[in-house]
Amino acid sequence: MNGLKGVAAVIGVGESDYVGDHARVRAGEKPHDSNGYAAVAFKRAIEDAGISRDDIDGLIVGPTVAYERIGEVLGINPTWGGQQDAMLAVIEACMAIKSGLATCVALVYGNDQRSAAVQYGGPEAMGGNMFLSYVYHAPWGFTSQGSLYAMMFRRFSELTGCTERHLGEVAVAQRLAASLNPGALMRKPITLDDYMASPYICAPLHLFDYCLINDGGVALIVCEAEKAKRIAAKKPVAIHGVGRFDLNRGATSLEPRLLDFYRPAQEACAKQVYDMAGVGPEDMDAVQIYDSFSCHIPFALEGYGYCRSGDVGRFMAEEGIALGRKLPVNTGGGHLSHSYMQGWNHQVEAVRQVRGECGARQVEDCRFVHYNSDVAGKAVSIIYGV
Amino acid sequence: MSAYRKPLPTDDPLMAPFWQNAKARRLSVQSCRDCGDKHFPPGPVCPKCLSEDQEWEPVSGRAALVSWVRFHRAYWDGFVGEVPYDVCLVALEEGPLLVSNFSGPVPDDPKAGTPLEVVFEDVTDTVALPKFRIVA
Ligand SMILES: [Zn+2]
Repeated sequence: MNGLKGVAAVIGVGESDYVGDHARVRAGEKPHDSNGYAAVAFKRAIEDAGISRDDIDGLIVGPTVAYERIGEVLGINPTWGGQQDAMLAVIEACMAIKSGLATCVALVYGNDQRSAAVQYGGPEAMGGNMFLSYVYHAPWGFTSQGSLYAMMFRRFSELTGCTERHLGEVAVAQRLAASLNPGALMRKPITLDDYMASPYICAPLHLFDYCLINDGGVALIVCEAEKAKRIAAKKPVAIHGVGRFDLNRGATSLEPRLLDFYRPAQEACAKQVYDMAGVGPEDMDAVQIYDSFSCHIPFALEGYGYCRSGDVGRFMAEEGIALGRKLPVNTGGGHLSHSYMQGWNHQVEAVRQVRGECGARQVEDCRFVHYNSDVAGKAVSIIYGV
Repeated sequence: MSAYRKPLPTDDPLMAPFWQNAKARRLSVQSCRDCGDKHFPPGPVCPKCLSEDQEWEPVSGRAALVSWVRFHRAYWDGFVGEVPYDVCLVALEEGPLLVSNFSGPVPDDPKAGTPLEVVFEDVTDTVALPKFRIVA
Protein backbone atom coordinates (compact mmCIF):
# COMPACT_ATOMS: atom_id res chain seq x y z
CA MET A 1 0.00 0.00 0.00
CA ASN A 2 1.57 3.27 -1.10
CA GLY A 3 -1.35 5.42 -0.02
CA LEU A 4 -0.01 8.82 0.91
CA LYS A 5 3.70 7.94 0.78
CA GLY A 6 5.75 10.88 -0.43
CA VAL A 7 2.70 12.76 -1.67
CA ALA A 8 3.46 15.86 0.37
CA ALA A 9 6.18 17.51 2.40
CA VAL A 10 6.38 20.07 5.17
CA ILE A 11 8.01 23.23 3.87
CA GLY A 12 7.37 25.67 6.70
CA VAL A 13 6.83 25.65 10.45
CA GLY A 14 6.06 28.45 12.89
CA GLU A 15 5.38 28.80 16.61
CA SER A 16 4.44 31.71 18.82
CA ASP A 17 6.82 32.87 21.56
CA TYR A 18 5.80 30.39 24.27
CA VAL A 19 8.31 31.64 26.83
CA GLY A 20 7.69 35.35 26.47
CA ASP A 21 3.93 34.99 26.22
CA HIS A 22 3.78 32.66 29.23
CA ALA A 23 5.63 35.20 31.38
CA ARG A 24 3.18 37.89 30.31
CA VAL A 25 0.15 35.68 30.97
CA ARG A 26 1.43 34.82 34.44
CA ALA A 27 1.85 38.54 35.07
CA GLY A 28 -1.84 38.98 34.30
CA GLU A 29 -1.53 40.20 30.73
CA LYS A 30 -3.26 38.75 27.67
CA PRO A 31 -0.79 38.89 24.75
CA HIS A 32 -3.24 37.41 22.23
CA ASP A 33 -6.49 35.48 21.94
CA SER A 34 -6.48 32.12 20.12
CA ASN A 35 -6.79 33.80 16.71
CA GLY A 36 -3.89 36.10 17.52
CA TYR A 37 -1.59 33.23 18.47
CA ALA A 38 -2.61 31.43 15.28
CA ALA A 39 -1.79 34.50 13.20
CA VAL A 40 1.67 34.88 14.76
CA ALA A 41 2.45 31.23 14.03
CA PHE A 42 1.11 31.43 10.47
CA LYS A 43 3.25 34.45 9.60
CA ARG A 44 6.34 32.70 10.97
CA ALA A 45 5.51 29.52 9.01
CA ILE A 46 5.23 31.23 5.61
CA GLU A 47 8.38 33.19 6.37
CA ASP A 48 10.15 29.93 7.27
CA ALA A 49 8.89 28.38 4.01
CA GLY A 50 9.97 31.38 2.01
CA ILE A 51 6.59 31.57 0.28
CA SER A 52 3.84 34.17 0.09
CA ARG A 53 0.27 33.81 1.26
CA ASP A 54 -0.82 33.58 -2.38
CA ASP A 55 0.99 30.23 -2.74
CA ILE A 56 -1.53 28.71 -0.31
CA ASP A 57 -4.75 27.13 -1.58
CA GLY A 58 -5.77 25.01 1.42
CA LEU A 59 -6.55 25.83 5.06
CA ILE A 60 -7.07 23.41 7.94
CA VAL A 61 -7.48 24.90 11.41
CA GLY A 62 -7.18 23.32 14.84
CA PRO A 63 -10.15 22.49 17.07
CA THR A 64 -9.76 25.53 19.35
CA VAL A 65 -10.39 28.20 16.69
CA ALA A 66 -13.20 28.87 14.21
CA TYR A 67 -12.44 27.87 10.62
CA GLU A 68 -14.20 30.77 8.92
CA ARG A 69 -12.77 33.37 11.27
CA ILE A 70 -9.18 32.16 10.82
CA GLY A 71 -9.68 32.25 7.05
CA GLU A 72 -10.95 35.81 7.42
CA VAL A 73 -8.15 36.87 9.80
CA LEU A 74 -5.45 35.46 7.51
CA GLY A 75 -7.16 36.48 4.25
CA ILE A 76 -7.23 32.96 2.78
CA ASN A 77 -9.92 31.79 0.32
CA PRO A 78 -8.94 28.15 -0.17
CA THR A 79 -10.02 25.45 -2.61
CA TRP A 80 -9.99 23.02 0.33
CA GLY A 81 -10.72 23.82 3.98
CA GLY A 82 -11.39 21.98 7.21
CA GLN A 83 -10.90 21.60 10.94
CA GLN A 84 -8.89 18.84 12.62
CA ASP A 85 -6.60 18.06 15.50
CA ALA A 86 -2.86 18.25 14.82
CA MET A 87 -2.26 14.73 13.54
CA LEU A 88 -5.43 14.49 11.47
CA ALA A 89 -4.76 17.95 10.00
CA VAL A 90 -1.49 16.61 8.57
CA ILE A 91 -3.24 13.53 7.18
CA GLU A 92 -6.15 15.53 5.75
CA ALA A 93 -3.72 17.90 4.04
CA CYS A 94 -2.01 14.91 2.39
CA MET A 95 -5.41 13.54 1.31
CA ALA A 96 -6.49 16.89 -0.17
CA ILE A 97 -3.19 17.14 -2.04
CA LYS A 98 -3.31 13.54 -3.28
CA SER A 99 -6.82 14.06 -4.61
CA GLY A 100 -5.90 17.30 -6.37
CA LEU A 101 -8.22 19.44 -4.26
CA ALA A 102 -5.31 21.56 -3.01
CA THR A 103 -1.58 21.87 -3.59
CA CYS A 104 -0.28 23.85 -0.63
CA VAL A 105 -2.15 23.68 2.66
CA ALA A 106 -1.70 25.87 5.74
CA LEU A 107 -2.39 24.09 9.05
CA VAL A 108 -3.08 26.67 11.74
CA TYR A 109 -3.66 26.32 15.49
CA GLY A 110 -4.03 28.85 18.30
CA ASN A 111 -5.04 28.31 21.92
CA ASP A 112 -5.40 30.80 24.78
CA GLN A 113 -6.21 27.99 27.22
CA ARG A 114 -4.05 29.39 30.03
CA SER A 115 -5.13 33.02 29.93
CA ALA A 116 -8.75 31.92 29.38
CA ALA A 117 -8.48 29.46 32.32
CA VAL A 118 -9.74 26.46 30.32
CA GLN A 119 -10.42 23.53 32.67
CA TYR A 120 -9.61 19.91 31.85
CA GLY A 121 -11.28 18.45 34.93
CA GLY A 122 -14.29 19.12 37.13
CA PRO A 123 -17.67 20.74 36.48
CA GLU A 124 -16.37 23.26 33.92
CA ALA A 125 -14.21 20.77 32.03
CA MET A 126 -13.87 21.59 28.37
CA GLY A 127 -16.13 19.34 26.35
CA GLY A 128 -17.52 17.74 29.51
CA ASN A 129 -21.00 17.47 28.06
CA MET A 130 -19.69 15.74 24.98
CA PHE A 131 -17.41 13.25 26.69
CA LEU A 132 -19.79 10.67 28.07
CA SER A 133 -17.29 9.45 30.59
CA TYR A 134 -17.52 12.69 32.54
CA VAL A 135 -21.29 12.45 32.71
CA TYR A 136 -21.36 8.86 33.87
CA HIS A 137 -18.45 9.00 36.26
CA ALA A 138 -19.02 12.32 38.02
CA PRO A 139 -21.12 10.98 40.93
CA TRP A 140 -18.11 8.90 42.05
CA GLY A 141 -15.72 11.83 41.68
CA PHE A 142 -13.93 10.48 38.62
CA THR A 143 -13.75 13.62 36.53
CA SER A 144 -10.29 14.56 35.35
CA GLN A 145 -8.23 13.61 32.34
CA GLY A 146 -5.30 12.74 34.57
CA SER A 147 -7.33 10.27 36.61
CA LEU A 148 -8.11 8.26 33.47
CA TYR A 149 -4.38 7.86 32.80
CA ALA A 150 -3.64 7.19 36.47
CA MET A 151 -6.18 4.34 36.41
CA MET A 152 -4.55 2.99 33.25
CA PHE A 153 -0.98 3.24 34.53
CA ARG A 154 -1.77 1.53 37.87
CA ARG A 155 -2.99 -1.58 36.07
CA PHE A 156 -0.20 -1.47 33.48
CA SER A 157 2.34 -1.21 36.29
CA GLU A 158 0.84 -4.15 38.13
CA LEU A 159 0.82 -6.34 35.00
CA THR A 160 4.24 -5.41 33.54
CA GLY A 161 6.38 -4.30 36.47
CA CYS A 162 6.87 -0.83 34.96
CA THR A 163 7.16 1.05 38.26
CA GLU A 164 6.58 4.68 39.18
CA ARG A 165 10.35 5.16 39.16
CA HIS A 166 10.53 3.67 35.66
CA LEU A 167 7.82 6.10 34.58
CA GLY A 168 9.86 8.92 36.06
CA GLU A 169 12.39 8.35 33.26
CA VAL A 170 9.93 10.13 30.95
CA ALA A 171 9.69 13.37 32.93
CA VAL A 172 13.45 13.40 33.58
CA ALA A 173 14.37 12.75 29.91
CA GLN A 174 11.96 15.34 28.56
CA ARG A 175 13.12 17.95 31.06
CA LEU A 176 16.69 17.31 29.94
CA ALA A 177 15.60 17.92 26.33
CA ALA A 178 13.78 21.10 27.38
CA SER A 179 16.87 22.33 29.20
CA LEU A 180 18.58 22.31 25.77
CA ASN A 181 15.63 24.00 24.03
CA PRO A 182 15.53 27.81 24.33
CA GLY A 183 11.84 27.72 23.29
CA ALA A 184 10.78 25.47 26.18
CA LEU A 185 8.86 26.65 29.23
CA MET A 186 10.33 24.33 31.90
CA ARG A 187 14.12 24.20 31.57
CA LYS A 188 15.47 23.35 35.03
CA PRO A 189 16.70 19.74 34.96
CA ILE A 190 15.16 17.26 37.40
CA THR A 191 16.35 13.91 38.75
CA LEU A 192 14.49 10.67 39.39
CA ASP A 193 14.61 11.53 43.09
CA ASP A 194 12.99 14.91 42.36
CA TYR A 195 10.33 13.06 40.43
CA MET A 196 9.64 10.56 43.20
CA ALA A 197 9.47 13.38 45.76
CA SER A 198 7.00 15.43 43.70
CA PRO A 199 3.45 15.40 44.99
CA TYR A 200 0.76 13.10 43.68
CA ILE A 201 -2.05 14.79 41.78
CA CYS A 202 -3.99 11.59 41.16
CA ALA A 203 -1.91 8.63 42.36
CA PRO A 204 -0.05 6.84 40.94
CA LEU A 205 0.64 9.93 38.78
CA HIS A 206 2.82 12.73 40.14
CA LEU A 207 2.87 16.43 39.33
CA PHE A 208 5.70 15.85 36.84
CA ASP A 209 3.58 13.35 34.92
CA TYR A 210 1.14 16.10 33.94
CA CYS A 211 1.46 18.39 30.92
CA LEU A 212 1.76 22.14 31.13
CA ILE A 213 -1.13 24.48 30.41
CA ASN A 214 0.00 27.48 28.38
CA ASP A 215 -1.06 29.78 25.55
CA GLY A 216 0.35 29.61 22.06
CA GLY A 217 0.01 29.01 18.35
CA VAL A 218 1.54 26.65 15.79
CA ALA A 219 1.39 26.53 12.01
CA LEU A 220 2.72 24.17 9.36
CA ILE A 221 2.77 24.48 5.58
CA VAL A 222 2.18 21.12 3.85
CA CYS A 223 2.85 21.19 0.12
CA GLU A 224 2.62 18.77 -2.80
CA ALA A 225 6.06 17.14 -3.13
CA GLU A 226 7.08 18.47 -6.55
CA LYS A 227 5.73 21.95 -5.92
CA ALA A 228 7.54 21.89 -2.58
CA LYS A 229 10.88 21.49 -4.34
CA ARG A 230 10.09 24.47 -6.57
CA ILE A 231 8.88 27.00 -4.02
CA ALA A 232 10.39 26.17 -0.64
CA ALA A 233 13.37 28.06 0.75
CA LYS A 234 14.61 25.04 2.70
CA LYS A 235 14.84 21.35 1.85
CA PRO A 236 11.31 19.95 2.24
CA VAL A 237 10.71 17.32 4.94
CA ALA A 238 8.84 14.40 3.41
CA ILE A 239 5.76 12.75 4.90
CA HIS A 240 6.59 9.10 4.25
CA GLY A 241 3.57 7.45 5.79
CA VAL A 242 0.53 7.85 7.98
CA GLY A 243 -1.67 5.48 9.95
CA ARG A 244 -4.84 5.53 11.98
CA PHE A 245 -6.97 3.10 13.93
CA ASP A 246 -9.62 3.95 16.52
CA LEU A 247 -11.04 1.87 19.36
CA ASN A 248 -14.52 3.19 20.20
CA ARG A 249 -16.37 0.11 21.47
CA GLY A 250 -16.74 0.15 25.24
CA ALA A 251 -14.96 3.52 25.46
CA THR A 252 -17.11 5.07 28.19
CA SER A 253 -16.69 2.15 30.56
CA LEU A 254 -12.95 2.29 29.76
CA GLU A 255 -12.65 -1.23 28.30
CA PRO A 256 -10.14 -0.44 25.50
CA ARG A 257 -8.18 1.77 27.89
CA LEU A 258 -7.99 -0.50 30.94
CA LEU A 259 -8.20 -3.98 29.45
CA ASP A 260 -6.12 -3.44 26.29
CA PHE A 261 -4.14 -0.21 26.93
CA TYR A 262 -5.20 0.68 23.34
CA ARG A 263 -2.66 -1.87 22.11
CA PRO A 264 -4.81 -3.24 19.24
CA ALA A 265 -5.23 0.31 17.87
CA GLN A 266 -1.52 1.00 18.10
CA GLU A 267 -0.59 -2.29 16.44
CA ALA A 268 -3.01 -1.75 13.54
CA CYS A 269 -1.85 1.83 13.14
CA ALA A 270 1.81 0.77 13.32
CA LYS A 271 1.38 -1.79 10.55
CA GLN A 272 -0.29 0.80 8.34
CA VAL A 273 2.31 3.51 8.84
CA TYR A 274 5.37 1.23 8.62
CA ASP A 275 4.04 -0.53 5.51
CA MET A 276 3.26 2.78 3.82
CA ALA A 277 6.59 4.36 4.69
CA GLY A 278 8.64 1.24 3.99
CA VAL A 279 10.58 1.68 7.22
CA GLY A 280 10.18 0.30 10.72
CA PRO A 281 10.89 1.22 14.31
CA GLU A 282 14.54 0.19 13.93
CA ASP A 283 14.96 2.95 11.30
CA MET A 284 13.75 5.80 13.52
CA ASP A 285 16.29 8.27 14.85
CA ALA A 286 13.82 9.98 17.20
CA VAL A 287 10.21 9.58 18.27
CA GLN A 288 7.65 12.22 19.19
CA ILE A 289 4.73 10.99 21.29
CA TYR A 290 1.63 12.94 22.33
CA ASP A 291 2.17 13.35 26.07
CA SER A 292 -0.70 15.01 27.84
CA PHE A 293 0.50 12.58 30.53
CA SER A 294 3.88 10.84 30.77
CA CYS A 295 2.45 7.33 30.62
CA HIS A 296 1.56 7.78 26.94
CA ILE A 297 5.24 7.08 26.32
CA PRO A 298 5.56 3.55 27.76
CA PHE A 299 2.21 2.55 26.23
CA ALA A 300 3.33 3.77 22.80
CA LEU A 301 6.85 2.31 22.97
CA GLU A 302 5.36 -1.14 23.44
CA GLY A 303 2.46 -0.61 21.04
CA TYR A 304 4.62 0.63 18.16
CA GLY A 305 7.26 -2.07 18.53
CA TYR A 306 10.14 -0.12 20.08
CA CYS A 307 10.59 -2.73 22.78
CA ARG A 308 9.17 -6.11 23.71
CA SER A 309 5.71 -6.22 25.23
CA GLY A 310 6.01 -5.99 29.01
CA ASP A 311 9.63 -4.80 28.88
CA VAL A 312 9.22 -1.03 28.66
CA GLY A 313 10.15 -0.25 32.26
CA ARG A 314 13.54 -1.88 31.82
CA PHE A 315 13.89 -0.41 28.31
CA MET A 316 13.38 3.16 29.55
CA ALA A 317 15.71 2.74 32.52
CA GLU A 318 18.52 0.72 30.91
CA GLU A 319 18.51 1.60 27.21
CA GLY A 320 17.09 5.05 27.64
CA ILE A 321 14.74 7.53 26.00
CA ALA A 322 16.75 10.70 26.67
CA LEU A 323 18.86 12.57 24.13
CA GLY A 324 22.08 10.62 23.60
CA ARG A 325 20.54 7.30 24.67
CA LYS A 326 19.08 4.44 22.60
CA LEU A 327 15.85 6.13 21.48
CA PRO A 328 15.43 9.89 22.00
CA VAL A 329 11.75 10.60 22.72
CA ASN A 330 10.10 14.04 22.69
CA THR A 331 13.36 15.76 21.87
CA GLY A 332 12.02 19.29 22.42
CA GLY A 333 10.62 18.54 25.88
CA GLY A 334 7.12 17.56 24.77
CA HIS A 335 3.92 18.65 26.46
CA LEU A 336 5.46 18.02 29.87
CA SER A 337 8.28 20.57 29.57
CA HIS A 338 8.24 22.36 26.19
CA SER A 339 4.70 23.57 25.51
CA TYR A 340 1.20 22.07 25.56
CA MET A 341 0.07 22.63 22.00
CA GLN A 342 -2.03 19.44 21.78
CA GLY A 343 0.26 17.57 19.39
CA TRP A 344 1.03 20.55 17.15
CA ASN A 345 4.46 21.37 18.57
CA HIS A 346 5.48 17.69 18.18
CA GLN A 347 5.05 18.02 14.40
CA VAL A 348 7.27 21.11 14.39
CA GLU A 349 9.94 19.36 16.46
CA ALA A 350 9.91 16.37 14.09
CA VAL A 351 10.41 18.66 11.09
CA ARG A 352 13.20 20.62 12.74
CA GLN A 353 15.04 17.43 13.80
CA VAL A 354 14.96 16.12 10.22
CA ARG A 355 16.20 19.51 8.98
CA GLY A 356 19.02 19.44 11.54
CA GLU A 357 18.01 22.80 13.02
CA CYS A 358 17.83 21.83 16.69
CA GLY A 359 21.15 23.11 18.02
CA ALA A 360 22.14 21.64 21.38
CA ARG A 361 19.28 19.13 21.32
CA GLN A 362 19.87 17.96 17.74
CA VAL A 363 19.82 14.19 17.21
CA GLU A 364 22.88 13.31 15.17
CA ASP A 365 22.29 12.31 11.52
CA CYS A 366 18.53 12.41 12.01
CA ARG A 367 16.85 10.89 8.95
CA PHE A 368 13.49 9.59 10.19
CA VAL A 369 11.24 10.81 13.00
CA HIS A 370 8.09 8.97 14.02
CA TYR A 371 5.16 10.83 15.57
CA ASN A 372 2.35 8.98 17.27
CA SER A 373 -0.60 9.61 19.52
CA ASP A 374 -3.29 7.47 21.12
CA VAL A 375 -5.56 10.08 22.66
CA ALA A 376 -8.59 8.25 24.05
CA GLY A 377 -8.00 5.24 21.80
CA LYS A 378 -7.57 7.19 18.57
CA ALA A 379 -4.19 5.92 17.39
CA VAL A 380 -2.60 8.16 14.77
CA SER A 381 0.90 7.93 13.38
CA ILE A 382 3.04 9.93 10.95
CA ILE A 383 6.59 9.28 9.72
CA TYR A 384 8.63 12.30 8.66
CA GLY A 385 11.99 12.03 6.99
CA VAL A 386 14.58 13.21 4.54
CA MET B 1 -29.80 15.05 52.90
CA SER B 2 -30.48 18.31 51.02
CA ALA B 3 -26.93 19.48 51.70
CA TYR B 4 -25.36 16.88 49.39
CA ARG B 5 -22.80 18.84 47.34
CA LYS B 6 -21.19 16.23 45.10
CA PRO B 7 -22.22 15.79 41.48
CA LEU B 8 -25.43 13.84 40.96
CA PRO B 9 -26.45 11.73 37.96
CA THR B 10 -27.67 13.76 34.99
CA ASP B 11 -31.22 13.50 33.65
CA ASP B 12 -30.45 10.91 31.00
CA PRO B 13 -33.66 9.01 30.11
CA LEU B 14 -31.63 5.98 29.07
CA MET B 15 -30.08 5.78 32.53
CA ALA B 16 -33.31 6.28 34.51
CA PRO B 17 -33.94 2.53 35.03
CA PHE B 18 -30.39 2.09 36.37
CA TRP B 19 -31.01 4.68 39.09
CA GLN B 20 -34.52 3.43 39.88
CA ASN B 21 -33.11 -0.05 40.34
CA ALA B 22 -30.23 1.27 42.44
CA LYS B 23 -32.66 3.01 44.79
CA ALA B 24 -34.34 -0.39 45.20
CA ARG B 25 -30.94 -1.97 46.02
CA ARG B 26 -30.64 -3.73 42.68
CA LEU B 27 -27.60 -3.35 40.43
CA SER B 28 -28.56 -3.69 36.78
CA VAL B 29 -27.12 -3.37 33.29
CA GLN B 30 -28.75 -3.06 29.90
CA SER B 31 -29.21 -6.42 28.24
CA CYS B 32 -30.15 -7.27 24.64
CA ARG B 33 -33.26 -9.43 24.20
CA ASP B 34 -32.02 -10.54 20.78
CA CYS B 35 -28.40 -11.53 21.35
CA GLY B 36 -28.07 -11.45 25.15
CA ASP B 37 -25.20 -8.94 25.17
CA LYS B 38 -24.89 -7.13 28.50
CA HIS B 39 -23.48 -3.63 28.32
CA PHE B 40 -23.02 -0.46 30.33
CA PRO B 41 -23.60 2.44 29.89
CA PRO B 42 -26.85 1.89 28.00
CA GLY B 43 -27.41 2.83 24.39
CA PRO B 44 -30.37 3.27 22.05
CA VAL B 45 -29.40 0.03 20.28
CA CYS B 46 -27.33 -3.01 21.23
CA PRO B 47 -23.68 -2.28 20.39
CA LYS B 48 -23.19 -5.93 19.39
CA CYS B 49 -26.19 -6.58 17.08
CA LEU B 50 -27.87 -3.12 16.74
CA SER B 51 -31.20 -4.46 18.06
CA GLU B 52 -33.53 -1.89 19.65
CA ASP B 53 -35.06 -4.57 21.88
CA GLN B 54 -33.25 -3.83 25.14
CA GLU B 55 -34.11 -4.43 28.78
CA TRP B 56 -32.53 -3.84 32.20
CA GLU B 57 -31.39 -7.03 33.86
CA PRO B 58 -30.33 -7.36 37.50
CA VAL B 59 -26.76 -8.59 38.00
CA SER B 60 -25.24 -10.47 40.92
CA GLY B 61 -23.36 -7.49 42.38
CA ARG B 62 -20.19 -9.59 42.50
CA ALA B 63 -17.18 -8.02 40.83
CA ALA B 64 -13.38 -8.03 40.65
CA LEU B 65 -11.10 -5.00 40.98
CA VAL B 66 -9.53 -3.82 37.71
CA SER B 67 -7.68 -0.73 38.94
CA TRP B 68 -7.99 2.23 41.27
CA VAL B 69 -6.63 5.74 41.80
CA ARG B 70 -6.30 8.16 44.70
CA PHE B 71 -7.30 11.78 44.09
CA HIS B 72 -5.07 14.23 45.95
CA ARG B 73 -6.81 17.18 44.34
CA ALA B 74 -10.53 17.92 44.24
CA TYR B 75 -12.07 19.10 40.98
CA TRP B 76 -15.52 19.58 42.55
CA ASP B 77 -16.26 21.57 45.72
CA GLY B 78 -18.19 18.62 47.12
CA PHE B 79 -15.05 16.49 47.25
CA VAL B 80 -12.76 19.07 48.89
CA GLY B 81 -13.31 17.68 52.38
CA GLU B 82 -12.55 14.10 51.30
CA VAL B 83 -9.16 14.53 49.64
CA PRO B 84 -7.40 12.17 49.31
CA TYR B 85 -10.22 9.92 48.12
CA ASP B 86 -10.21 6.75 46.00
CA VAL B 87 -12.01 5.83 42.80
CA CYS B 88 -12.03 2.26 41.54
CA LEU B 89 -12.87 0.47 38.33
CA VAL B 90 -14.53 -2.91 38.75
CA ALA B 91 -15.42 -5.73 36.35
CA LEU B 92 -18.83 -7.19 37.08
CA GLU B 93 -19.08 -10.96 37.12
CA GLU B 94 -21.40 -10.56 34.11
CA GLY B 95 -18.77 -8.62 32.12
CA PRO B 96 -19.39 -4.85 32.04
CA LEU B 97 -16.99 -2.47 33.79
CA LEU B 98 -18.18 0.16 36.28
CA VAL B 99 -16.46 3.17 37.79
CA SER B 100 -17.22 3.39 41.50
CA ASN B 101 -15.82 3.97 44.99
CA PHE B 102 -14.73 1.54 47.66
CA SER B 103 -17.01 1.18 50.65
CA GLY B 104 -15.66 0.11 54.02
CA PRO B 105 -12.07 -0.81 54.90
CA VAL B 106 -9.49 -0.97 52.10
CA PRO B 107 -5.96 -2.42 52.40
CA ASP B 108 -2.94 -0.23 51.57
CA ASP B 109 -2.50 -1.43 48.02
CA PRO B 110 -5.45 -3.45 46.75
CA LYS B 111 -4.51 -5.62 43.80
CA ALA B 112 -6.27 -6.30 40.52
CA GLY B 113 -8.61 -9.23 40.88
CA THR B 114 -9.54 -8.48 44.50
CA PRO B 115 -13.12 -9.77 44.93
CA LEU B 116 -15.78 -7.14 45.63
CA GLU B 117 -19.52 -6.93 46.21
CA VAL B 118 -21.91 -4.08 45.67
CA VAL B 119 -23.41 -1.99 48.45
CA PHE B 120 -25.70 1.00 48.04
CA GLU B 121 -25.26 4.35 49.75
CA ASP B 122 -28.25 6.69 49.85
CA VAL B 123 -26.95 10.14 49.02
CA THR B 124 -30.25 11.99 48.44
CA ASP B 125 -33.93 11.10 48.79
CA THR B 126 -33.94 9.76 45.25
CA VAL B 127 -30.38 8.65 44.51
CA ALA B 128 -28.47 5.65 45.84
CA LEU B 129 -24.91 5.22 44.60
CA PRO B 130 -23.62 1.70 44.05
CA LYS B 131 -20.22 1.24 45.70
CA PHE B 132 -18.07 -1.82 46.29
CA ARG B 133 -16.93 -3.55 49.45
CA ILE B 134 -13.92 -5.83 49.53
CA VAL B 135 -15.00 -9.39 50.24
CA ALA B 136 -12.89 -10.81 53.06
ZN1 LIG C 1 -27.79 -7.53 20.72
